[in-house]
Amino acid sequence: MSVAAIGADAHGGVDQLYVETRELRLQGFLLFLVSDCVLFSSFIFAYLYLRNSGQGWPPPGIQRLDVAFAAWNSVVLFGSGATMHYALENFKHGKFIKYMWFLLATIVLGAGFLGGQAFEYNHLIFGEHVTWWGSGIFGASFFTLTGMHGLHVFFGVCYLTVLVLQSAAGVYTRGKYFGITAGTLYWHFVDVIWVVLFSIFYLL
Amino acid sequence: MAVAALHSGGIADHIHPEPQGFVRRYVFSLDHKIIGIQYLITGFVFFMLSGLLAEAIRTQLLNPSGGFVAPGTYNEVYSVHGSAMVWLVVIPLLTGGFGNLVFPVQIGARDVAFPWLNMLSFWIFPVAGLMLFSSFLMGAPTAGWMEYPPISLQGAAGTSMWCAAIFLVGVSSTITGINFVVTILKMRAPGMTFTRMPLFVWGQFATAPLLMIATTALAAALAALFIERQFGVPFFDPTKGGSPVMWQHMFWFYSHPAVYIMILPAFGIISEVLPTFARKPIFGYKLIAFSSMAIALAGFMVWAHHMFTSGLAPFLQLPFMIITYLIGVPTGIKIFSWTATLWGGKIHYTTAMLFAIGFVGLFTLGGITGIFLAAIPFDLHVHGTYFIVAHLHYVLIGGSLMGIFAGMYYWFPKMSGRLLNETLGKIHFWLFFIGFNGTFLPMHWLGVMGMPREVATYDPQFTFWNRFESVSSYLMTFAILIFFVNVLWSIRYGKRAGANPWGARTLEWQVPSPPHYYNFKHVPTVYGLPYDFSQPLPYSGLEEELTDSPPPVAAGAH
Repeated sequence: MSVAAIGADAHGGVDQLYVETRELRLQGFLLFLVSDCVLFSSFIFAYLYLRNSGQGWPPPGIQRLDVAFAAWNSVVLFGSGATMHYALENFKHGKFIKYMWFLLATIVLGAGFLGGQAFEYNHLIFGEHVTWWGSGIFGASFFTLTGMHGLHVFFGVCYLTVLVLQSAAGVYTRGKYFGITAGTLYWHFVDVIWVVLFSIFYLL
Repeated sequence: MAVAALHSGGIADHIHPEPQGFVRRYVFSLDHKIIGIQYLITGFVFFMLSGLLAEAIRTQLLNPSGGFVAPGTYNEVYSVHGSAMVWLVVIPLLTGGFGNLVFPVQIGARDVAFPWLNMLSFWIFPVAGLMLFSSFLMGAPTAGWMEYPPISLQGAAGTSMWCAAIFLVGVSSTITGINFVVTILKMRAPGMTFTRMPLFVWGQFATAPLLMIATTALAAALAALFIERQFGVPFFDPTKGGSPVMWQHMFWFYSHPAVYIMILPAFGIISEVLPTFARKPIFGYKLIAFSSMAIALAGFMVWAHHMFTSGLAPFLQLPFMIITYLIGVPTGIKIFSWTATLWGGKIHYTTAMLFAIGFVGLFTLGGITGIFLAAIPFDLHVHGTYFIVAHLHYVLIGGSLMGIFAGMYYWFPKMSGRLLNETLGKIHFWLFFIGFNGTFLPMHWLGVMGMPREVATYDPQFTFWNRFESVSSYLMTFAILIFFVNVLWSIRYGKRAGANPWGARTLEWQVPSPPHYYNFKHVPTVYGLPYDFSQPLPYSGLEEELTDSPPPVAAGAH
């Protein structure tokens, strides 16, 4: 057996035997997102299960959700996904100023989405019919799932703020920017989760 | 050529500077081998505590009317016993313990992919364990390790503590799972292709995704139960529109894969021990490896076979029954392969080998009762009886725990540099084997006769066999005490092991015992499977491992 053939077998993994390389971290982070996805899936299963438990949906006494408002709020969140994408692309191409502006825009849009969600919660809790976490299976599934998603957006906004500060301090270079990649992946993940939540709560 | 260039330097030869001081070396260590030993020690401490609870159960059942503890306390005792054995003993010992200790060396890596996360993952575990046992102080959970609502909704504050503790263990398991997947995918030595990996590594490779995916599903169920108990948010309470059956779905969607988390690494241990002491290549290497993956995958599709009495529609029950039967196929392939490995081998009856052979026999018994239980009509008859208790203890003690003991006798010399005493080991094995069968074999017919599980008293007609079981269980406990004495004695006075006392061929035996913190002076190159006992070792680059040559220069990789 020739040595070269063994080299080909090694999946190019030789130089990564010890150092926590970008590739290792990327894979670890993707697997974290997979397990996070399972967390959401379990609660989505719970929601669909309760929804189909035979009491009709929405349960009696629950007002319909405001689809139009939520749709506009979704546009805000998806817009932030686009700005995050351009932030990463600009960073990769060395356009630092543009990158910072897109990153700031993402933070503003993400915070805007959270504001919209707070408005919607306020409307549900203090509206004509009081609908809150403990008041029936609608409240349980809606507030748990959207709240969990909101918490993810909140953590994302905090993380992106840290990214801004780190970037201003020059932590990331064109060869070493895993923090930005992770932030982008996380942000897109939160977007995709929202697509599912919007579909099953507002459209279904 | 490429390999030669890389071996002459490059990152492969960079290592951590040696950790200094007691705390960095043995407490907050980043070294996967130390973390593995930490898991083993912590796991065995929890094992002793859970064992005491088990003896409290058996002592209560000496008499039909109980009388050792109050019925309410009995419920707490068996609930915490089950939870602790599953989450604080078997899973951490097999994944965090043996996994950390052995598999990174077996694939020729210097450490796991994320050493710091590994340390974090370990330190969550004892905290969670203490939380679980502290639930006794505020009224421990009383609905068994499955904590079915509505009983778990009515339990005392300790049930919420239980949720939090198991959630934390789950976080620890998830981190370990992610760490192991990345390590196996990315950190193998040159030439260590998937089909050259030792079977213990395959066992971990099949388990790690389960740890990562299934455990998160359990986390959701636990979080829901917790917020329902603490904030009155209705998920499971039928009076508020929730569904108790939904908990069963969410719980078993985790807990059936968890069954395989608890057995696949033990399969891996057995697949290392059997060929080593039969001095014969393992039979059906690829079949054993791929059947582990098949079991892991199919494990996600059978959860509702735990719920045949919960009122599922019959058309839903049938596929679960059929897929459960199908899991018998890859499991049977393993049993056949192990038996064929023994056939015609030159068998060395070391203690590790005795436990491995015992494993094959007892696990087969547990597996066959599993096939019984997959049949809906039979399951309806024995559901909630001692037949289930017998089945699960045959797979968990006869399977997982025998695997853990086999692993301890096999790898103890590698972690400590000294052999466990073989005479004490053989006494341990035989007393344990007899005590175990005496405890759990009668449960089969008690269950078929209708003795319900999880009840503090029983019908006087079952008295004889219950007393027989209790006495046998004391024998089993005595055997385990011998094991602990053996470990403590052998650490100080055991025979020196040398690098390779068993003549084994996987990579961890080619380096000193215990291995240096950097594992290898030079990362080896792998040319083939480790099981061909008639061939020279399939590695190169290991020439300096057992010499006094200096370690590679610590280049400050971090």
